[in-house]
Amino acid sequence: MDKQRDFVLRTIEERNVKFVRLWFTDVAGTLKSVAIAPAEIENAFAEGIGFDGSAIEGLARSYEADMLAQPDPSTFQILPWRGEIDPTARMFCDITTPDGVPAAADPRNVLRRALAKAASMGFSFYIHPEIEFYLLKSSQIGPEGPIPVDKAGYFDNVPGGTAHDFRRRAVSMLEQLGISVEFSHHEGGPGQNEIDLRYADALTTADNIMTFRTVIKEVAIEQGVYATFMPKPFTEHPGSGMHTHMSLFEGDTNAFFDASGQYHLSKTAKSFIAGLLKHAGEITAVTNQYVNSYKRLWGGGEAPSFVCWGHNNRSALIRVPLYKPNKSQSARIEYRAIDSAANPYLSYALMLEAGLKGIQEGYELPPETEDNVWDLSDSERRAMGIQPLPQNLEHAIRKLEESELAAEVLGEQVYSYVLANKRREWSDYRAQVTPYELKTNLEVL
Amino acid sequence: MASSESKPAQTLTALARLGFSDLDATISRLDQLVSVVGDSGRSALASLERCANPDQALLCLIQLAELDKAKIKKLLSKEDSSLRLVRLLGASRFLADYLVRHVELLQLFEKPVSELPNRQVYDLSFSSGLKLNSSNFDAQREISTLRKIYRSNLLQIAMYDLGQNDQVNGLPTVAKALADLAGAALDAGLLFARTELVSSSEYGVFTAEEIANTRLAVIGMGKGGAGELNYISDVDVIYVGESSSTNLENERMLEVATKLATRLMRAMDVVNPEPALWQVDANLRPEGKAGALVRTLDSHLAYYAKWAQNWEFQALLKAKPIAGDLELGKRYYEAVQPLVWQSSNRENFVESVQAMRERVSANIPPDEVDRQIKLGAGGLRDIEFTVQLLQLVHGKNDIGVRAPDTISAIEQLAKAGYIGRAEAAEFSNHYKFLRLLEHRIQLTQLRRTHLMPIDASTQRAIARSINTNWTAQSLIEDWNKVKLEVRSLHQRIFYRPLLVAVSKSSDGFALSEEQVQQRLAALGFVDPKGAQIHIEALTSGLSRRAQIQRQLLPVLLQWFAEGTDPDSALLAFRRLSENLGESHWYLRMLRDSSGAAERMTVALSTSKLATSLLELIPEGAAWFEDVNEFLPQSLELLTQQSDALASRHQDLESLSKSIRHIRRRETLRIALGAVVGELTLSQVSKGLTDITQWYLSALASELIAKLAYNDEPVSKLLDFGIVAMGRFGGGELGFGSDADVMFVYDPKPGVPVAFAQKSAELIISEIRRLAKDQQLEFELDLGLRPEGKNGAIARSMDSYSAYYARWADIWENQALLRARIFYGSAKLKESFSKVVDNYRYPATFDAKSILEIRRIKARVENERLPQGADPKRHLKLGRGSLSDVEWLVQLLQLKHGNEHPSIRTAKTLEALEALVTEGIIEAHDARVLAEAWLLASRIRSAGVLWSNKRSDVLPTDRRQLEGMARILEYPRGSASSLEQDYLAHTRRSRMVFERLFFS
Repeated sequence: MDKQRDFVLRTIEERNVKFVRLWFTDVAGTLKSVAIAPAEIENAFAEGIGFDGSAIEGLARSYEADMLAQPDPSTFQILPWRGEIDPTARMFCDITTPDGVPAAADPRNVLRRALAKAASMGFSFYIHPEIEFYLLKSSQIGPEGPIPVDKAGYFDNVPGGTAHDFRRRAVSMLEQLGISVEFSHHEGGPGQNEIDLRYADALTTADNIMTFRTVIKEVAIEQGVYATFMPKPFTEHPGSGMHTHMSLFEGDTNAFFDASGQYHLSKTAKSFIAGLLKHAGEITAVTNQYVNSYKRLWGGGEAPSFVCWGHNNRSALIRVPLYKPNKSQSARIEYRAIDSAANPYLSYALMLEAGLKGIQEGYELPPETEDNVWDLSDSERRAMGIQPLPQNLEHAIRKLEESELAAEVLGEQVYSYVLANKRREWSDYRAQVTPYELKTNLEVL
Repeated sequence: MASSESKPAQTLTALARLGFSDLDATISRLDQLVSVVGDSGRSALASLERCANPDQALLCLIQLAELDKAKIKKLLSKEDSSLRLVRLLGASRFLADYLVRHVELLQLFEKPVSELPNRQVYDLSFSSGLKLNSSNFDAQREISTLRKIYRSNLLQIAMYDLGQNDQVNGLPTVAKALADLAGAALDAGLLFARTELVSSSEYGVFTAEEIANTRLAVIGMGKGGAGELNYISDVDVIYVGESSSTNLENERMLEVATKLATRLMRAMDVVNPEPALWQVDANLRPEGKAGALVRTLDSHLAYYAKWAQNWEFQALLKAKPIAGDLELGKRYYEAVQPLVWQSSNRENFVESVQAMRERVSANIPPDEVDRQIKLGAGGLRDIEFTVQLLQLVHGKNDIGVRAPDTISAIEQLAKAGYIGRAEAAEFSNHYKFLRLLEHRIQLTQLRRTHLMPIDASTQRAIARSINTNWTAQSLIEDWNKVKLEVRSLHQRIFYRPLLVAVSKSSDGFALSEEQVQQRLAALGFVDPKGAQIHIEALTSGLSRRAQIQRQLLPVLLQWFAEGTDPDSALLAFRRLSENLGESHWYLRMLRDSSGAAERMTVALSTSKLATSLLELIPEGAAWFEDVNEFLPQSLELLTQQSDALASRHQDLESLSKSIRHIRRRETLRIALGAVVGELTLSQVSKGLTDITQWYLSALASELIAKLAYNDEPVSKLLDFGIVAMGRFGGGELGFGSDADVMFVYDPKPGVPVAFAQKSAELIISEIRRLAKDQQLEFELDLGLRPEGKNGAIARSMDSYSAYYARWADIWENQALLRARIFYGSAKLKESFSKVVDNYRYPATFDAKSILEIRRIKARVENERLPQGADPKRHLKLGRGSLSDVEWLVQLLQLKHGNEHPSIRTAKTLEALEALVTEGIIEAHDARVLAEAWLLASRIRSAGVLWSNKRSDVLPTDRRQLEGMARILEYPRGSASSLEQDYLAHTRRSRMVFERLFFS
């Protein structure tokens, strides 16, 4: 720790950093930032920076006003988009109470707790997300809805296209911030792009996702376009998901791999999948947290609306991808429900613990689903025991309310904040008269 | 035989003097020995006399002589070789038997072992003896050879050890050699593992190249790493792997390394004609038993950076590479060392180290406590713990005190001025003595044990192995003395020097002010400077009090440090001590009763309510001597006291003053009982309810006896009654609860109602005036009477009947469920109960009333909650807390009370039980409700005890939560768990409530 701290202090001097942004995330998954001068950094390491917790929606209520942000020196990076004239750096923070105890309401702490639980079972948790987003001409909504920057499709190479430059610039910026990119390409919708981050431990990945969203927004501003992580901005085009590949390691070995298992899946992997399947409904209000998220989940196409798993089944909630047999390290499973607007800390904590629960209790893995579940009839699905995910936010809230697992993993406080936020959102939404109603009802009635 | 018969007495006495126990048999055994080896057999007596167990040694000699007559004859013929052999045979049954099986090793006794070899020599001994060759590999044979080499070296260590003039001071040398030998054995084992893996076709999955490119370092932990090993104990290790070639991926390398590590461990402990050496224990590795056996260096460091607990850093203090790839081991060592010394910066560091130690001692089986040399009180662990704690506190800034082994560490600490010279020498000697005991006990059977044997003859052999003049009894006496001193040394070394002003020892040792503050801060004092001032004030001067406190304070400081708020506890102690001054009994109690002093520190450091009441009633400190004093006094006893007072005091004012005093005193008693005694919640509630009931009754009786209205004594005008309501009625009062009451009266025959009403009002206003107490608040709440705040404060019996018959709102009927008339004539009590029963257990309870109750509850939830309060944290009106549970119970009582008399009780928990028995609610639901209710009630009381302030809200302040958690008997550092528990319990209880109450 001290070495990292020294490195930070030295770099600030050498690179003549003018501001350091302290980043943390509120319960809703919004990035919050406090800028401090370099002179205060040393003190921030020693004692944390006090701030008013009530200023941040979701993170704390007024009576918990006093909180400390403790910067994590291992996350120090100079922000590339601020230029070299006034170099600015950032660090992620852990939030603590004034006596140094991790704040119950800090999402980063929720994930840390879940990871510590995994560590006590001998596991470390690795993740790589595929993040989808749309590039729009601007945030202004046109007569036909948002206006995408191009009309290309899946893996299309758009000559001289904005998207191409955009991805090149974004990837290089991410690399400058120490975030390795695995893959990037144009996605199915017009203006839709996907960038895959290289696998890393869950906490780093969650931090990276927060950074990623900022980078994408910044590059968009730089290039005169607008980027959005909204789960489903277009009725007719695919939504933006954040398919997440997960694996558990025991020390340096992949615990999901078993050369003799079906699809090389170990018993651990099977129970983990079973756990995720069993609890998927309860955690959906977090992995898919907006009213809009459910437009993606139930918008057809390849959206994983039903709780089932399969090998190379593009409609399953959990997919076991192909990998080369000699690459046991890359054994993993893919969770496809979560979308790009989720709070990664809370979502990953829940996904991890749902899986761990499966391991602990030795859940049995239900049989694989080979069909495209969308093509089945309701009664066929019922016969096969395939449950739907919640159909809207309200349904998801009800599932979450009944979840002991979520209460335990999130901690009672975050749990009740999430519920309160979501209930408010649902009641606001319910009061809206939508364009759909105007279009279909106004002239007829 | 003839010769022995002629002078048996003399011979037997002589034999006994030589140390034999089985005297008759000895004579024939000696003859037998002589018959085999001739006269040299007789000269063996001189050696036998100087060995631990002459009987055993003699028997073994005979056995060996029969196997190799010439060699034994030769060894016995020389005085020094004879002594070496016999001493070993007497001290170790295991090694003696081993010699019988390997007679060829007898030649080792020909030469003395004048000094112990170093690690290189041991390494050489293994490499020259063990001819490992992959083409002609036989695992069983190689393992046997490896173990034989180990044992012949062990034999020589034992020989050296037993021949030392000063065994106590020679101990570090022996322990070092044992560690070196174990390290060399591990190295040989690793080489064995590599050869086995290469040669084995069965596991032919790895190529020779892959195996060669796998680097594996063995890090010794604990005594093995520190170079101070026992004769036999688990050897604690951690493995680090690394690939030395780019062609070998880490993942593959780890598979190889794991195979190597498991084979290495097998070489030490697998079943083989040559017995196992010891267990290799790798459980101190990251993630313990669940973790991967081998990790890369990066993976280790990642773990320590993110997950490791405090005790794991403490364990790293003794980590040292001992075998395998030393270069890799060195890199590991250099990378983890800084972590050890940063660890004391971590939050709650001393606490968690101490907690770890408490766990260790809690795990000892009770019948072993007194026999434990290592883990018991005054055992080796106590010394190691003190030394490591000091190293971690001071080693952060002082690199001169970081030696891994205990003895060097003590020397360093003394040299750097953290321990006095005299104490250091004493500590070091005790440590060596205890280790020596442990060694001798282990040597006899070469078994891993830290227990003093039970039977006297084995004890005697142990004693004689150290000094032939010692007996079993003297050994145990010496050991007990050492134990006693070790126990006090922790305080003398760690705490005593904190008393700077008075702690100068004869050799002038004293900590600097800075060092003292360092130590106080490590103990958890937030304001070490202030603490130092209090300590000075308490200990300076020549008074008897100061003298006693000087003795006592080191212990008290330790206890304060274990409490939640050491700073204010120390201050409170200072105030109490100045308050009680030179009171004879107080000083005597502190001096003579350690239980009392400990209980007092617990009370002072956990309860502000108890502390402030103690300041008012210092004589309450006397109760600390006996926990039975904390039991609440019965109602009869209290009444006797007030009756006696009444007969002595004519004056109302002075009488009520005494009554108030008794209330404070009894409240203090229960507060102390709740904090340091073992009072349960129901005992506390009953006690507090009794006090309140007695308090009001005593005042009422006095007033009725003395007051007059219109020149007429009030006792002639009315029959006066007091009804307990709400929690008071249910006997569920907590600290700081209001007393809910109603007043009722019956005019005496012929007295106009208006007269009686006026008299009642006079009595009530006097009760309210006299009951008021500035020092321990008393709140009388009349809000539950008919018509609430607008109603008359007293009503006649007839008026109550009329009111309930005609006007009462449903909530008033509900309130009657907990009405309990406790004061008044038998007749009044009976008629009151009879009237209210009609309304609280109505024959029919219609749907409209049920709706009405639900509606009121819903409204109350919104309105009664104070502005800005978080409903989840409100203990009384919050989500799933007290009022939810109580309303539900009351609704069910209103509905079913008429039909099921068994549910008619004012006590919430009793009612829940009865509702289950009657099948009205499910047992599971009742349990959820009861748990939430109980926890909320306990937290409410704990809050008042801790802060001396009433609050119905679960605090968010950590320290406050922590303090309350400790009162509720959570372990240290449980603020968040308490919060989590409360929120979870009430969330579940709310779900039950909503389901049962609103539908």
